[in-house]
Amino acid sequence: MTSLPSFSAKDFKSDLKPIWCPGCGDFGVLQAVYRALAAVGRPAHEIAFVSGIGCSSRIPGYTTAYGFNSVHGRALPIAQGIKLANPDLLVLAAGGDGDGFSIGGGHVPHAIRRNPDITYIVMDNQIYGLTKGQLSPTSPKGLKTATSGYGSLENPVNPLLYVLAYGAPFVAQGTPADMSGLAQVIEEAIRYPGFSFVNVQSPCVTYGEEEGQVKAQKARMKTLQSLGHDPADQLRAIDLARSSGTELYTGVFYRNPEPAPTLDALVRERKEQLGKDALPRERILELFLQR
Amino acid sequence: MTTTTTDLVIGMAGSGGDGIVSAGESLVAAAARDGYHAMMTKSFGSQIRGGESSCRVRLSTAEVLNPGGALDVAVALNWEDFLKFGAELPVSGGTVMIYDAATGVAPDQLPLAGVKPAEVFPVPIGEIARKATGTDKARNTVVLGLLSGWFGIVREGVMRGLRKKLAKKGQAVLEANERAFQQGIEYAASHPLQTPRTMEKPADSGAKLLTDGNDICAAAALFAGCQFFGGYPITPSTEVMQLLTREIWKYGGAVLQAEDEIAGIGAAVGASFAGKKSMTATSGPGMSLKTEMIGLATIAELPLVIVNVQRAGPSTGMPTKSEQADLYQAIFSAHGDAPRPVLAPTSVSDTFDVTVEAFNIAEQYQTPVIVLSDQEIAQRKEVIDPIDTSRFVRVDRLRPTPAELESYARFHITESGISPISHPGMKGGNYLGAGIEHNERGEPTASGSIHQQMTDKRFRKLLPLRGREDLFRIEGDENAPLALVSWGSTAGICREALRMARAEGLRVKLLVPWLLYPIAEKVYRRFFASVRAGVVVEQSQQGQLYRVLRMELDLPRGLRSFCRPGANPFRPAEVVAALRDAALDLQRRAHHQQPQE
Repeated sequence: MTSLPSFSAKDFKSDLKPIWCPGCGDFGVLQAVYRALAAVGRPAHEIAFVSGIGCSSRIPGYTTAYGFNSVHGRALPIAQGIKLANPDLLVLAAGGDGDGFSIGGGHVPHAIRRNPDITYIVMDNQIYGLTKGQLSPTSPKGLKTATSGYGSLENPVNPLLYVLAYGAPFVAQGTPADMSGLAQVIEEAIRYPGFSFVNVQSPCVTYGEEEGQVKAQKARMKTLQSLGHDPADQLRAIDLARSSGTELYTGVFYRNPEPAPTLDALVRERKEQLGKDALPRERILELFLQR
Repeated sequence: MTTTTTDLVIGMAGSGGDGIVSAGESLVAAAARDGYHAMMTKSFGSQIRGGESSCRVRLSTAEVLNPGGALDVAVALNWEDFLKFGAELPVSGGTVMIYDAATGVAPDQLPLAGVKPAEVFPVPIGEIARKATGTDKARNTVVLGLLSGWFGIVREGVMRGLRKKLAKKGQAVLEANERAFQQGIEYAASHPLQTPRTMEKPADSGAKLLTDGNDICAAAALFAGCQFFGGYPITPSTEVMQLLTREIWKYGGAVLQAEDEIAGIGAAVGASFAGKKSMTATSGPGMSLKTEMIGLATIAELPLVIVNVQRAGPSTGMPTKSEQADLYQAIFSAHGDAPRPVLAPTSVSDTFDVTVEAFNIAEQYQTPVIVLSDQEIAQRKEVIDPIDTSRFVRVDRLRPTPAELESYARFHITESGISPISHPGMKGGNYLGAGIEHNERGEPTASGSIHQQMTDKRFRKLLPLRGREDLFRIEGDENAPLALVSWGSTAGICREALRMARAEGLRVKLLVPWLLYPIAEKVYRRFFASVRAGVVVEQSQQGQLYRVLRMELDLPRGLRSFCRPGANPFRPAEVVAALRDAALDLQRRAHHQQPQE
């Protein structure tokens, strides 16, 4: 009997050195991704890891997976194309809060309603770091940044509520302040059959606020488990998500206990159903033959 | 005396519910069954339902090159709607004018601005329909009967078509329509044309295909091996996606109707990254939105076919009208040095060739390729000869060998500029694809010298395209001093203009590029060697191909741009007139240059 290959975190670490600032929360996310991938146990060449643009979107290059560091805000459409083209792949998408909830915000509801088996990790630092400290869609109201010198006039997006409202079947939050918890929710998300979303409170050490840093997070974070939250309870999950910004909850907000068929499974089924009706490609023009 | 004809241009107009377009469709389908070649174009008011509608059908015993000029036969179910299509349905002194007598217009008082048609027939079309079927609805079938009776066409084909179309509606409906058709024929028999014009039988009455540019584009994609389509509905390209949503699953592929144009091409880029032949289709506004992704496919070196079915105007412009004003966008859009091949079909039939070629070029050179179709080709129905698909090759992207996978570098710099491409699932091929400039291994870089090498590579790999003479069509007198150059749907008009001009003794030749970019310098230089004057004919205000050629080549001094924006196609006679002017100009210049004695 042959045993399944087993992997360790370092199997997923590439030779590229991250460009992130020392102490950036994204280092923690990267470590958590390595651990989660090792636990899931798919070889790196069967993984496609897609991102947009931003500090955090550099992450695919730091793994040994097939990476695609695409254009700003478009990780999800590209990831869905990959998944539909080859449903056997493990497909991850990742990016920052600007990528996912500002420029690419329009793609999120559609990925959710299609329900491809993709995991989407957002590294939410409430700031635009790569462009040196401008307002982001999750910046708190009143925040002074390079583009809001007098304080932001806008309410932030609540990423958890956003995805829960569109019916995402798996929604979790983690932070590099709790590495084992973060690795665990990412692993669970990857294992979930359907669209899974992980929001990571990943602090920006250079432009972020003091209360967002790992040390401050450690003082205020609470696990959902410690609250006795049942992840099958969607309404309670929505209720808990409403306090994002004031409370820092970690763990699984919502896990649909009865996963619906994924888009890729439905596509596979349709191909199987219709495949037998195909004209040979060479005779495709007979579609237009007039008799 | 009986005159026969080999070519008949019919134009019909009525209000939306009159079934004019349906009559046109029956006519071309019948023509196809009877072995004729045919072309049908439609024109509507802007309403989705109701309003006015019209169609033109050109029947011929030989290949139909364009919708033709003035009508041989005009049919008006009412004058108000007919007159709204003055430009699409021009009546001349050679036209047989048929209209519903119920309009109450006297034959000598037609509202045609002084044009006197050759023959005029007020026919009680509605009355015949009511007598035959009990309703007005069959007026279009009566019209088919009249056309069949007067011009000796498609009797068998229409009968077969009626049976096919109405089989589900029951025997009574079918019989009523057959009666309406028959009575149209009988009316024509009892009111003969003064100068009979009977259509000759087609020489080759073999099986024909009836399709349009969009449908055949989708079929070509499937033939080429397309496995993924991502797109968003937009006029006039949507039918490409529609056909694929019916067929692609059968070939193991998938369609994603995306939430927007960007996501549509994004998914297609993703599918290509995953190793599948992939495509999107859109029109101008969608191209504007997709532009960033085209740049991504360029730098990530991913094969991708992008079809732009051009419509008229900037922004929303005129979505249902044709124009050729997106050439600059096709060649130059996307920031940075982002070269990409641009191809254009010129007819429904060669849309197949060009689309297959686009896939082959995309795969061979790992590049996005733009197919610039236009509304005129994409949405007109044509009856064409079957295409022998065995003459096409299908190119697949170059994959790394097991040895190459030992120490794989995705963007390895090669002499040809082409590097073997892996895809997820391929062990050892793992790499980082990116919109960021990268080194040979795909790792991000900000090095000027690497950027230079990679940019060189992305341009170098496209160089062989400049020698692709097979992507040009040249006709006419090889040593002619006069030239026509044209592309897209306008090329079909120029092919007819070429024949007309040569028939009146002008020494002229025609160059039609399928490959618009990169510029195949040698092909043009050889073609222009004998040329002293001529016109580049295209449907845009700026004469975009003419200007691009001027930018890249030394053109003959007497070569001018002959252009105007959409939406009305050029007529062959206008092009001939432009050639005559060019010829005169040439004579004048020759006279001027004669040495003084």
